[in-house]
Amino acid sequence: MDEATPEVSRGRGISPIWIIPLVALALGIWMVIYTLMREGPDVEIRFSTAEGLEEGKTKVKYRNVQVGVVEAVSLSDDREGVLAQVKLDREVTDMLREDTRFWVVTARLGAGSVSGLDTLLSGAYIEMSPGHGRTGVREFVALERPPLTPRGTQGLRLTLVSEEAPSVSTGDSVLYKGYEVGRVESTEFDPQRQQMRHSLFIDAPFHTLVNSSVRFWDVSGVSVTAGANGIDLRVGSLDTVFFGGVTFGIPPGLPAGEAVQDEAEFRLYPSFEAAIDNPYKHGEYFVISFTQSLRGLLPGAPVEYRGIPLGRVERVMLRELVAHGQGGDGRFGSGAAIPVLIYLEPGRLGMPDSADSIDTLDHIIVNGIANGMRATLASGNLVTGNKYISIDYFPDAEPTPPGEFVGYTTIPTVPGGFARIEQQLYALLDKFNQLPLGETVAGANEALAGISTTLESLRVVLDDEKLQALAGRLDRVLDELQTALAGFSPDSAIYRNLSASLADLDRMVQHLEAFSRTIATQPNAAVFGADIPADPVPEARPR
Amino acid sequence: MNGLAATAAGRHLAVCHVCFKLASADGHHCPRCGAPLHLRKPRSLQRTLALLLTATILYIPANVYPIMITDQLGAPAEESTILGGVILLIELGSAPIAAVIFIASVMVPLGKLIALYYLVWSVGRGHLTKQRQRTAMYRATEFIGKWSMVDVFVVAILVSLVHLTGVLVIRPGIAAVSFAGVVIVTMLAAESFDPRLIWDRLERKHG
Repeated sequence: MDEATPEVSRGRGISPIWIIPLVALALGIWMVIYTLMREGPDVEIRFSTAEGLEEGKTKVKYRNVQVGVVEAVSLSDDREGVLAQVKLDREVTDMLREDTRFWVVTARLGAGSVSGLDTLLSGAYIEMSPGHGRTGVREFVALERPPLTPRGTQGLRLTLVSEEAPSVSTGDSVLYKGYEVGRVESTEFDPQRQQMRHSLFIDAPFHTLVNSSVRFWDVSGVSVTAGANGIDLRVGSLDTVFFGGVTFGIPPGLPAGEAVQDEAEFRLYPSFEAAIDNPYKHGEYFVISFTQSLRGLLPGAPVEYRGIPLGRVERVMLRELVAHGQGGDGRFGSGAAIPVLIYLEPGRLGMPDSADSIDTLDHIIVNGIANGMRATLASGNLVTGNKYISIDYFPDAEPTPPGEFVGYTTIPTVPGGFARIEQQLYALLDKFNQLPLGETVAGANEALAGISTTLESLRVVLDDEKLQALAGRLDRVLDELQTALAGFSPDSAIYRNLSASLADLDRMVQHLEAFSRTIATQPNAAVFGADIPADPVPEARPR
Repeated sequence: MNGLAATAAGRHLAVCHVCFKLASADGHHCPRCGAPLHLRKPRSLQRTLALLLTATILYIPANVYPIMITDQLGAPAEESTILGGVILLIELGSAPIAAVIFIASVMVPLGKLIALYYLVWSVGRGHLTKQRQRTAMYRATEFIGKWSMVDVFVVAILVSLVHLTGVLVIRPGIAAVSFAGVVIVTMLAAESFDPRLIWDRLERKHG
């Protein structure tokens, strides 16, 4: 038994085989650590729709480098949006700031450009734009559409405000003298202020072109304006015709202002005219009351002094007139003159654009009225029927003191334009009516009867027989004259004889000419006869 | 008694691992080929256990990581794990294929590991019962070992066959290597286990 017992040697000590599981374990741990090290942050992005988002497939990219992937897409708690759980790479942790922006990139047909065509094949992806704000943010709200200007672009962001929606939309160009210097980033309507607000971005270095005195105006499409100055047609570049655009510039005559801050606010004028029309900040309202038709007088119509624009028509003050009439001063319903509010700017007269000039203007107007300054309604354009207000001096006008209407100084009027012509025409017609037309016509009738008698006697003379015979004789005389002249025709004998005589004469003259040439060289030839030299014969060359 | 006397070990004879010559265990080397001579595989249980642990560690990445990565034109790279593939096949309605893959790639390696753990544990504790079943289990484990490479072969064939650069490319994942590792290490573990140990204790007891 002792000998027969197999000795199962239980190897004491550690077998080197344990290195294998240790290596495997080390590798496993390293893999886990590596994965954990690579593990990036999980963020939650809120979208309005999950269009183009696919769980586990949609990538998150930054500058076209994949930095993450969408892991799950679910409805938000309020069912108003979509929450995408996104696993991002570790490297971009630092880019996740308060103002980091995300948006979905899909194929887009935009203003004059097509973008994201590659996403047609690969599917949409989420683009990230790193921020600069507070770190540690893990929840974001995606943008509805891609921002037009990458964050960090040098330039200037401005806000344009306009009362009505011009044809400017997101993505439109901002031009300076026709060159693109920026673009419209967003357009929205502010219901509280009842304004359209456009966000603009001007690229560096062009942002220095913007200062406090520039004006922005809409150059979209084709603008046709029919005003007191005629019809104006304005067509921008083809791009702006189709897609719209905004341009800016300093109105002529205005000095450049100081530099503006980021997010500065400007007004957006509907047209170039509107933009340059209001270069002055100070002005004063006046009222002019007209008793004639105001048809064709539109708000914005010019107010001119001898052709120089002073200001513009603001509006017709019908409301105030009605309120005034109901106030009980007896003017309501009595055909009172219609007050028109005008806005005059002293800057247009070369005065400094300041509050002091307003006082000066007031003074000029009051003084002027005393010296016969009156306003008239004039026709600016006969085709369109637009009218303007002309201010001039009428020394023969009845002296009227300056009036006052709801707090505004009123400038007295004289009838002008068509009203004036109408008046003169009426006067002319009156005079015409007073003419003794009946007597004149009777006299003319008598004269006509006399002419008729004269014509009758003339006919009697012409019908006389002698006069008829005279015509026949005259005819015969003419026949004879014709026969006589026929004797000299090229076929007649006289003509042939004459022709032969002339040929003889010609020959004789030729002979005479030859003779006279001979006499000139040999005077003695008349006596001895001329010796005619023999024809020259060419000789052979001497040897 | 008889049985005992009938074993080679009982007569203190050891078989050479290399040339299978039966020689006296007293000599440390085979008199014929000179290879080291042992009555039983040296440190068999320890070796088997170490390899089993390695296989267990490798089994984790083999299932967690993707075994196959498909790059398709216009689509992001698709990574499929073994279990993911099984689930996908079930969803696609190919339950039989899914079953084959599940059995070959999940059940068999796992079963082998569990079986070997059990054998090592039972031998280590010196259990005296069910020797026949345990031997049968060992034999089955050894036999089935070569068949669990199916997955690795599938991946290897797909990778070499489907290689349309830019349109469709299949790449092996980390799990493919890990899985191959699991299979190989399990086979080595089964190899290093000495089934004679199952009987040794019993024989000693009877003796």
